[in-house]
Amino acid sequence: MAMQPHSKKRVCYYYDSDIGNYYYGQGHPMKPHRIRMTHNLLLNYGLYRKMEIYRPHKATADEMTKFHSDDYIRFLRSIRPDNMSEYNKQMQRFNVGEDCPVFDGLYEFCQLSAGGSVAAAVKLNKQASEICINWGGGLHHAKKSEASGFCYVNDIVLGILELLKYHQRVLYIDIDVHHGDGVEEAFYTTDRVMTVSFHKYGEYFPGTGDLRDIGAGKGKYYAVNIPLRDGMDDDSYESIFVPIISKVMETFQPSAVVLQCGADSLTGDRLGCFNLTVRGHGRCVELVKRFGLPFLLVGGGGYTIRNVSRCWTYETSVALGVEIANELPYNDYFEYFGPDFKLHISPSNMSNQNTQEYLEKIKNRLFENLRMLPHAPGVQVQAIPEDAVNDESEDEDKVDKDERLPQSDKDKRITGDGELSDSEDEGEGGRRDNRSYRTPQPRKRPRLDKDGSQIKDEIKTEDNKDDVKNLSSVEEPKKEIPPNP
Amino acid sequence: MAANMYRVGDCVYFETSSTSPYQIRRIEELNKTPSGNVEAKVMCFYRRRDLPNPLIQLADKHQMAQSEDSPIAMKLKKICLKTPVGEEQAAQAVLDPALAAMEEESSELPGTDGLAPKQRHQAKHRELFLSRHVETLPATHIRGKCTVTLLNETESLLSYLNKDDAFFYCLVFDPSQKTLLADKGEIRVGSRYQTEVTNLLKEGEEDTRNSEELETLVWTPSHGLTDRQIDQFLVVSRSVGTFARALDCSSSVKQPSLHMSAAAASRDITLFHAMDTLHKSGYSIESALSSLVPASGPVLCRDEMEEWSASEANLFEEALDKYGKDFADIRQDFLPWKTLKNLVEYYYMWKTTDRYVQQKRVKAVEAESKLKQVYIPNYNKPNPALITSNSSSGKTAPAVLNGGTNGTATVSAGQLCASCQVTNSNQWYTWGPQHLQYRLCGTCWQYWKKYGGLKVKTAGVFGETEVEAAKGPRGEGEDTALSVSHRPHRCTVLNCAKEFKLRAHLARHVATAHGSGEGARPVMKTRAAFYLRASPFTRLARRLTRALRRPRHYARSPFSPINLQQVKHECSIAMAGLGGAELRAAGAAGGGSTGAAGAAAARAGVVAARLAAARGRRPARTPGRHDWLALTPRDRMPAPPHVAFPKPPKAPDGSLMYERVLSRAEIEARRAEAAPAQPLKRRAYDDINGLDRAGAREAGAAPPPAKRPNKHPAPMQRPSREQYAAMCARAQATGQPLPAHVFTHVNGKPTNISGRGGRRHVISWMDAPDDLYFRANENAKAARRNLSCGELRRARRGGRCAAAAGGAAALAASAAGACKPAAAAPLQLVILD
Repeated sequence: MAMQPHSKKRVCYYYDSDIGNYYYGQGHPMKPHRIRMTHNLLLNYGLYRKMEIYRPHKATADEMTKFHSDDYIRFLRSIRPDNMSEYNKQMQRFNVGEDCPVFDGLYEFCQLSAGGSVAAAVKLNKQASEICINWGGGLHHAKKSEASGFCYVNDIVLGILELLKYHQRVLYIDIDVHHGDGVEEAFYTTDRVMTVSFHKYGEYFPGTGDLRDIGAGKGKYYAVNIPLRDGMDDDSYESIFVPIISKVMETFQPSAVVLQCGADSLTGDRLGCFNLTVRGHGRCVELVKRFGLPFLLVGGGGYTIRNVSRCWTYETSVALGVEIANELPYNDYFEYFGPDFKLHISPSNMSNQNTQEYLEKIKNRLFENLRMLPHAPGVQVQAIPEDAVNDESEDEDKVDKDERLPQSDKDKRITGDGELSDSEDEGEGGRRDNRSYRTPQPRKRPRLDKDGSQIKDEIKTEDNKDDVKNLSSVEEPKKEIPPNP
Repeated sequence: MAANMYRVGDCVYFETSSTSPYQIRRIEELNKTPSGNVEAKVMCFYRRRDLPNPLIQLADKHQMAQSEDSPIAMKLKKICLKTPVGEEQAAQAVLDPALAAMEEESSELPGTDGLAPKQRHQAKHRELFLSRHVETLPATHIRGKCTVTLLNETESLLSYLNKDDAFFYCLVFDPSQKTLLADKGEIRVGSRYQTEVTNLLKEGEEDTRNSEELETLVWTPSHGLTDRQIDQFLVVSRSVGTFARALDCSSSVKQPSLHMSAAAASRDITLFHAMDTLHKSGYSIESALSSLVPASGPVLCRDEMEEWSASEANLFEEALDKYGKDFADIRQDFLPWKTLKNLVEYYYMWKTTDRYVQQKRVKAVEAESKLKQVYIPNYNKPNPALITSNSSSGKTAPAVLNGGTNGTATVSAGQLCASCQVTNSNQWYTWGPQHLQYRLCGTCWQYWKKYGGLKVKTAGVFGETEVEAAKGPRGEGEDTALSVSHRPHRCTVLNCAKEFKLRAHLARHVATAHGSGEGARPVMKTRAAFYLRASPFTRLARRLTRALRRPRHYARSPFSPINLQQVKHECSIAMAGLGGAELRAAGAAGGGSTGAAGAAAARAGVVAARLAAARGRRPARTPGRHDWLALTPRDRMPAPPHVAFPKPPKAPDGSLMYERVLSRAEIEARRAEAAPAQPLKRRAYDDINGLDRAGAREAGAAPPPAKRPNKHPAPMQRPSREQYAAMCARAQATGQPLPAHVFTHVNGKPTNISGRGGRRHVISWMDAPDDLYFRANENAKAARRNLSCGELRRARRGGRCAAAAGGAAALAASAAGACKPAAAAPLQLVILD
């Protein structure tokens, strides 16, 4: 019986079989087809059968105008390739035309992408799932009344707005190679959403995301930007991602997380300039998942589509806590993955312009900013309606007690380290070290037969070892938390 | 050799001039040219020294504004960031009193606190300005890699100084507008940009969202089936699919073998359908099985790949070839019975086929000219500025000069490195304007090439700031290459002012765009006239310091500098010892010891006088020593018996009336006129057509009968100057073109115009050969007439060196060779081939 290092979660996955057939236009790097390629891989890897698969509804104009302006959505709804000429002025105003072309079914495409993220957020709100995935979403550049960077409707903002109904604080993390400017701008002045974006900065689209952009008004210090340079590799990325996210979790204490998994930060991307592998990219998913918060995964950029589908397939497996073989299974698009037909890709030998020194300095500056955050409000639990829900809902057998702790439980376990705390209200005001926020380590005990048999098929032992090693290196400082009573 | 492998995206040094610093560029594209060379499309980074001064000052202030948060800083920030700042605005901003106060605080780069002055100075060499300017350079000029990164304010400049070849930039420079811009987007704040944040639901408040409306469940993992059961069901559904294909007529045609049917039945669409069936039948294998085989027969799931017929597939490929991936057009013109979604889906599946792979291979061959990386070996040729050991490692070269004279080694400055003041170095390079005679040691030279400055701020003993010194050479012609991209060549023709990167381009532009125009002037001077007239003092100095002069040596190496200061010094010492009379004697022409040179000059004078006498003119006075250099007055110029290329007549306003270049129609008309007069063979075609046309012209009644060819009395004779003038005047007055024979005779070769083919060339001034014409004597003319048109042409192709058989042919060849040069006369002539 192989070990199961990942924790099992209920995963909901949103997909519409039409999405692959939207076509941005000749020569356009954005290809919705990559979502279908991912889907086919998921089926043939046998991951499909382990998730709840949903076909999302088409988001209505009403839903979209929760964030977007009415006239912008009206415009999107009415514009078509054959009536473009009548809309010249508006096209300019809404920045539709060049990067964001008018294509057949544009509005439906937006509806599906937004519908998936909104439905996923509602799902999380209802606690019907712990992890929701919408690879058709993640269009993080779209502005309130402006299209930008291949994005028209910002499904992320719509999803977060939905989450805010139940969550006092929502954390947004963006590992696309481009800055998540649309989401950052939407929540620039609020302290309820913290946006953290890791991106290439300097002479790069969209030009925003300076270290000094930290939010405004009430939202000051609630925008965190990590400007990076060409050639980020797995190790460098983790070396900055882990401390920043841990610190953010510690100081901001969100109750839900949205992770934008733009795959253009992978090596060899048509538009990107980082050097991450699928493993390094998926590592971010894994790390965020560990915090055990309601978790929405969305897609985003990614323009070398074979790598995008590899990456999102792997990340789905990470979310599911299932190991998958490096050998790609046969599928309709198998030929795309030649010549090696493997899941994992190797980094290129491009030079990494992010020196350890540089990353260290960035990190320290961000830590200084995070220190300016007011301590997370007193009694976090009371703001969240989960307590009440917890009692009645959740039939006991559906919840894997070992893996997921109710928020209330977790809060109880948090102990202030006290060292840096100058306030007496221990347990709340004091700063915490990272460890407290780690989810309990999965215990090594025989699983249920049913589970075990399922897992066995998929696990490759060598991969497994590898992963365990990785895990232990990161989890080293973890405090052993007693198993759930 | 990863170090010499240059990829797209790398920042590299480019050497475009041997004396100026490298240019820093980022490789955007690498293209192989047909000749096998690699060209790099590069984006330019500019150094501080390349920018106008006001902009530099502004850039520094902008940086300070970034690091501080004072109101002044904010004001400046606004000026800088919101709009591109032009040079004048920049100058204005610099003058702004509020900002001037800031300047006093420090004129240094910000973030340099805690740096030693030397480091602060060097940090300036590491600052670059990004631009969007793209140019193409040969990849062989690459001289190494460097890194350019956006400066982050958390970094200290020291981290750049400590690394070789590391540069940073903060601002974007637009070389055409001369503006600076911050490379920074902006997050906008306001209700038009931020979202309204939804409130938390209050306790007891119901969420209106209903998951059922938002999504449809397609699959759930919470079912009673094992993995094995699902796999089995998938196999079953594939078998059903195979069987269904066997039953289906159209499928059995397309998939003649069982294997193919099975493969088709294993495509993902069957599997997805199987999963859906399982879900719909409540994860009961039994009911799922039965719904796989309804009463209507086994279920057949086909995707686009299978659905399409072979002819449709062919149509699609054809369309793809024609329209590219414009699926809307493809649908409209080729496959109107398919939907757009069909097309897109099919396209992505088609990409997995061999057909696509083949196409891709073809494309890959085409794309071969686009390289991803290029290997450029280290450049080992010595820089021309390197002082070679011949003149002895630079350090000793001036010493020899000094030692050769009276040993008062006054010029010792040249021995030190202008930058670091060392005296020992393996290599020395000349640096800066030539007359200053600076030298750099090997390391400082490398520093200069890479960072565009000297290591220390002032060049100590010279009392001259590095900035001046460094900027010095830019003013001199030798260094124009440095700023090729910023100093375009501008067309001087009024209302044109087009700019060109290369002088040759400008010349071509002038020749083509303005060359045929009336006001054309040769833009290019073939050779600049040069005459050095030595002053008495120079002459004296030459004689006094002969030891230093070594004329032979310097004649052999025209580019090695002569140490003028030393010469002056030497000279003044020598002169101090001589009286006025002696000096005069020494300097006098043909005087005593230095007779040779003087005698030569005198001889030239005598020859000039004799020449003048031979022309029958008495010199007005006894010839002076330099009289032979004076130009002969215009009216005294020897007049040839007849003018080969007479000046055109003057219009009433005094301007010369040049002949208009004829249009093709006119030439043909003229040819028709001239034809009867030509005693040449093989004229049948011309005759017939010419007559026709002549008739047509007559019918048009435009030309008077007097214009008929036979009215020209003696077409073979060259008009005299007066005749020519009269003809031109008449032509001008009547608006008629000049009669054909005027032109015919310019070359002395009447066959020209009647020659067939009739293509017209206007020789541009650039291509025109030297002024040279062949004057045919009677014999030559006679010989020429004996040659056929074809022979003449062949001979001309053979050029002057054609060894044509027979004296007449040789003569004809040279005659033909000459006719082209003759055509380059000041008149703009039509040459018929």
